[in-house]
Amino acid sequence: MSFIRLVLFGFLALSVIYVSLSVYFRSVRRENLEEDWAENHPDGGDPSERSDYIERGMAEYAGSIRKRLVLLVYIVPIAAIAVIQYLTN
Amino acid sequence: MPSIKSIIRIVLFVIFGAFLHYTLPQHDVVRINSTEIIRQDLSGWNKVFYANGDSGNAEQTTRDLRLINTVRKNTLFFGFYKTGGEETMVYRNEDTGWIWPPYFKFDSSDLQAEASDNISQATNPRWVVITHYGWRNRYISIYPNAISIRPVDSPDVRIIPWFNIFFFVFLLIAFLMVRAMWRQFVERTVDPALTSAGNRWDEVEAEYAEKKSRLRRFFSKK
Repeated sequence: MSFIRLVLFGFLALSVIYVSLSVYFRSVRRENLEEDWAENHPDGGDPSERSDYIERGMAEYAGSIRKRLVLLVYIVPIAAIAVIQYLTN
Repeated sequence: MPSIKSIIRIVLFVIFGAFLHYTLPQHDVVRINSTEIIRQDLSGWNKVFYANGDSGNAEQTTRDLRLINTVRKNTLFFGFYKTGGEETMVYRNEDTGWIWPPYFKFDSSDLQAEASDNISQATNPRWVVITHYGWRNRYISIYPNAISIRPVDSPDVRIIPWFNIFFFVFLLIAFLMVRAMWRQFVERTVDPALTSAGNRWDEVEAEYAEKKSRLRRFFSKK
């Protein structure tokens, strides 16, 4: 019973961390893209081209390994629990 | 004079520190002199300092509690520096199961056997390192919970608290991460919203001023 509770609340807590981390990394990524654009176009450039550039960069990020690395949020604690349990018992 | 804010901050810090001091593993070098089982009443408020019943068993108001009686030679604060000298120390030995704190300990019986195996007398001491969490308090009858026992050659063995080192580094990283996330959130979400709300407010004010002056002009014409 307590195992089910641990899994449930653990999953909830990790999901909160996962969502906030992925939002954070996306936001940082977008900011970097905006800054890149601003560096290459000191005059501001064409607004629609700018949003194209940023959306392309974000789409690239969505398929990248770095984004999938956020899934480690789930894997690392489970691995840690397994290791602690093995070492304790 | 310290402000209310700093007092609250200090109190929170002390509570958090006490929580960590209770929960994190710490190491004692001890000589085990006996093991015993007592009937423990768990109906009082100090129940929070005891684990739940062995995993797989029902919860009762009293149950048998395994104890390990020792003479402690050496103890380390968070495992980092030595505090306290030689004194007697009693550990309880309970499963933590899947519940808090997350030691996932299910092998109390085996640990008790190990403890019995390492019993020795003062004349011919055998030293062991007991990893434990929790506090001993005589006034409210609570004991630290032993997690593991490791025989060592000498009571002056050097213990490196790997877990605590790792944990505090992780805590620092997590703190910096949360701070960075908060700053990003403020920069990208809160500030633009405030700016646009501020702009809107300015527009409203400007509109109002415009209308007022138009009215004034209208009336002054008459």
